Parts: sequence; C-alpha cells; structure tokens
Amino acid sequence: MKHLLTIFLIAISVSMSVQIHADNRIPNLGDKANKCKDDECKEVHKLPNISRTQSLVIQRKMHPEFLLHKRDRTLRQGVRGGRASLAKCVNCHTSVDKNGEYIPVNAPQQFCSTCHKQVGTSMDCFSCHRTTPAEDM
Amino acid sequence: MNKLNRRDFIKNTTIATASVTTIASGISLTTFAAKSKESAPVTNEKRWGMLINVNKLTESSIDDMIDACQEENGWGSEVHSRAEQKPDWIKKVKVKDKATGKIDVLPMLCQHCEQPPCVDVCPTNASMKREDGIVLVDRHLCIGCRYCMMACPYGSRSFVHENLDNQKTHMPRGKGTVESCTLCVHRVDKGEIPACVEAVGGDGVIFGDLYDANSKINQTLKKIQSTQIRSDLNLNTGVRYSGI
Ligand code: HEC
Ligand code: HEC
Ligand code: HEC
Repeated sequence: MKHLLTIFLIAISVSMSVQIHADNRIPNLGDKANKCKDDECKEVHKLPNISRTQSLVIQRKMHPEFLLHKRDRTLRQGVRGGRASLAKCVNCHTSVDKNGEYIPVNAPQQFCSTCHKQVGTSMDCFSCHRTTPAEDM
Repeated sequence: MNKLNRRDFIKNTTIATASVTTIASGISLTTFAAKSKESAPVTNEKRWGMLINVNKLTESSIDDMIDACQEENGWGSEVHSRAEQKPDWIKKVKVKDKATGKIDVLPMLCQHCEQPPCVDVCPTNASMKREDGIVLVDRHLCIGCRYCMMACPYGSRSFVHENLDNQKTHMPRGKGTVESCTLCVHRVDKGEIPACVEAVGGDGVIFGDLYDANSKINQTLKKIQSTQIRSDLNLNTGVRYSGI
C-alpha cells in the first residue's frame, strides 16, 4: 500500500513537472532582450546587493509596483530615465515577425501577455501606451 | 637590452588586445549605466512660460503651430468623433473688437495657470500642476468626469471619445480620459522647447523660464506690453500674449 502511494505520488509529480514544461511558462523574452541578455543588458534587472537570479525573482513579482512608482515619479515630479520606464520595457521585450514588422508586446504569446494570461490578470496600460517600439528608438 | 622574439611579441600583443577589449566593454557598461540614471525631480525654482507675439504671427504660422503639435503628440486623426468631440490641444481663435472691428487671430492652448481651476475641481487629483508650473492631466488617475473641461475658462481641454492605436511612445493617449497641451513636457524635460514654438521660429513665440532674469522671455516681458487672457480671473497664466 505504502509502495503504491509512493508510486502514485511520484507519478503525479512527474506529470506535473512535464506539464510545467509543456505549459511554456518561460516567457518569450523578445528579440532585443534575447540578443543582449548574455552581455550588454544582462544586468538590466539587477538590484543592488542581491544576485542577478534573486533580482529576476523580484522583477517577476514586483514589476507592477516598480511601474506604478515610476509612473508617479515621471508625471508628478518630472523624473525621466531610469530602469523602470514602460517605454523601455516595450522597446526591449518586443519581437519582430517574419515580415520584419513589430509584434505588439501584449499580443498572445508575447512577453507582456504570457504570464498575465496564466495568472488571469488584465491591464489597461496598452490602451494608451504604445505596444511597439517607436521607429526612432 | 634583450631582443623581442616572435613569441614574446605575440604574447605582448595579446595582452594589449585583451586590455583594449576590457576598456571597450567597460565603456559600454558605463554608458549603459549612465543611460539608466534618473533625472532629478523638477522644482519650483523654475516656472515655464510662453510669450506669444500676435503681431508676428500670421494665420498660416498658427496653422504651422497646430500641425507641429499634432505631429508631435499624435492627435487629430480621430475618425469616429464628431467635429465638436475632436481633440483641440491648440486652436486658432479669432477675437474681434466690437468698436473698431479689428480682428486678431491667436493660438489658444492651455494657459498653464498658477491657480488652475481645472486642478481645483478635479475629484481624483488627476488634474495637476507640476512644481515648475506645467499643468497636466495624470491620465492614470483620470476617470473622465470632465469637470475640468467645464472649469477651464479657456476651453483648452478635450476628451478622447474613441479607441486609439499607434500612439506616440512619449505621448500615450486613450479613450475615456481628458487631455490638453502638456507644454511638450517630454521635450522640456530633455532641455528642448515645445514643438509649436520650434515650428514658428524667430521671436513669434518665446518659450522659457519666467523666473530666470537672464532668460529671453523674462527680459522681453520686462520690456514690452503684454497681457494675460482673462486676467480678471487672477489665474496668473504662464502663457502670455503681446500685440492684442
Ligand atoms: C489613459 C491613458 C493611459 C493609461 C491607461 C496608462 N497610461 Fe501610463 N502614461 C500616460 C501618459 C499620458 C503618460 C505621460 C507621458 C509623459 O509625460 O512622458 C504616462 C506615463 C507613464 C509612465 C512614465 C513614462 C514611461 O514610459 O515610463 C509609466 C511608467 C506608466 N505611464 C505606466 C503605466 C502603467 C503601468 C499603466 C497600466 C497600469 C499605464 N501607464 C496606463 C497615459 C496612460
Ligand atoms: C535592455 C533590455 C530590457 C529592458 C529595458 C527591460 N527588460 Fe525585462 N528582461 C530583459 C532580459 C535580458 C531578461 C532576462 C534576464 C535574465 O535571464 O537574466 C528580462 C527579464 C524580465 C522578466 C523576468 C522574465 C522571466 O524570466 O520570468 C520580467 C518580468 C521583466 N523582464 C519585465 C520587464 C519590465 C516590466 C520592464 C520595464 C520596466 C523590462 N523588463 C525592461 C531585458 C530587458
Ligand atoms: C514572469 C511573468 C510576467 C511577465 C513576463 C510580465 N508580467 Fe506583469 N504581472 C505578472 C503577474 C503574476 C502579475 C499579477 C501580480 C499580482 O496580481 O499581484 C502581473 C501584473 C502586472 C501589472 C498589474 C496589473 C493590474 O492592474 O493589476 C502590470 C501593470 C504588469 N504586470 C505589467 C507588465 C508589463 C508591462 C510586462 C511586459 C514588459 C509584464 N507585466 C510582463 C507576471 C508577469
């Protein structure tokens, strides 16, 4: 009986981990981010005093707060530049289709939509904010 | 003095090349870091303003200002809105002196008041004035009630009535919120001048810091006669007119 239970549990965990991989949980980073992730921009989300991996965990969890903080600082205080700009996320995390056109960053399978679909969050930011990099960026 | 043989030469050049690449990557790292540096918050040591010399503007130069604003901020191509619903960040206004029949044409835009009525009436704090005098709508907080449109004596605000796409990166806009001239805040924060001022060129419209005694706008205002529109309201506008 005990053996059966163990086998059962192992079976469940194996099928779950298979599921996680099949689920495509690793978001499609986008062309520019993929290109620069090993050198030029590998530290883009790195926070002081903690490792790059830990910083990424925080970025996954806290990016809404960072964005809202940045939003208020920009509008209320005129603080420009810095890492949390929404225009910059879009610039780095978009991809180009096979005709060379930018795919909106919130389109299905794109960076700002995969996780959100999974957790069932929806946001209105892109009803105003541009979803592709500007021509001159 | 020992002679450099071939092997040593290669060894030395490799070291030299290696150090060049480290320098180069060091440079690209610093430029990257510099780019992600935030600018300092704006302060009330400055007050941005504009002086519009109506005598130096023709109707077509006012049209140029409007075109430049539309181009810069991406408004004016709304297709589903009726004429009276269309956005008007800057428009051409004709004023006629009833006694003499003299007609002046002037560009009308947000006057960036020191005491803005639109800020007073806003229930969500979306309508706001920055420390440096620029009056804005924080569209993140705007619920589209349009009280500010009714409060503004200049009719300078408009409401977005339809879904939009392909906005400018620096000027997000969307349905259900109020908008108006931002004095091209995204340019001003970079040290540039507003698009409409640039479009006129010369002295037709002067942009600058009203408080700075060395600025052209401050000096010109000290020299010449100028007015604030509806000065009876004591709003102390940042946009001033001369020649009317
Ligand atoms: C109704 C339109 C509208 C919506 C919806 C909107 N924004 Fe904005 N956003 C703006 C405007 C206008 C600015 C000011 C741009 C400027 O002055 O450069 C702005 C600026 C910002 C900035 C600072 C500029 C930048 O690119 O970093 C951030 C961050 C930001 N918004 C985040 C958000 C987020 C996050 C959401 C969704 C939760 C959102 N916005 C939804 C209109 C909107
Ligand atoms: C200069 C390019 C660049 C910019 C700008 C940028 N990112 Fe990233 N982002 C990356 C790269 C590269 C990674 C992957 C990092 C790694 O694997 O170490 C990443 C990873 C992430 C992740 C974690 C994804 C995962 O692995 O689960 C999130 C979330 C994220 N970014 C959100 C944002 C947001 C939000 C913004 C805007 C505030 C932004 N990024 C701006 C390049 C960028
Ligand atoms: C690694 C997965 C992941 C990626 C990639 C990601 N997000 Fe998120 N995002 C989340 C999760 C999870 C939440 C929900 C957080 C919560 O509810 O507390 C969320 C919530 C948000 C919210 C708040 C929504 C709201 O109104 O409640 C904003 C804004 C946001 N994300 C912006 C972005 C932008 C912009 C991008 C693309 C640059 C992005 N996110 C990419 C995981 C991700």
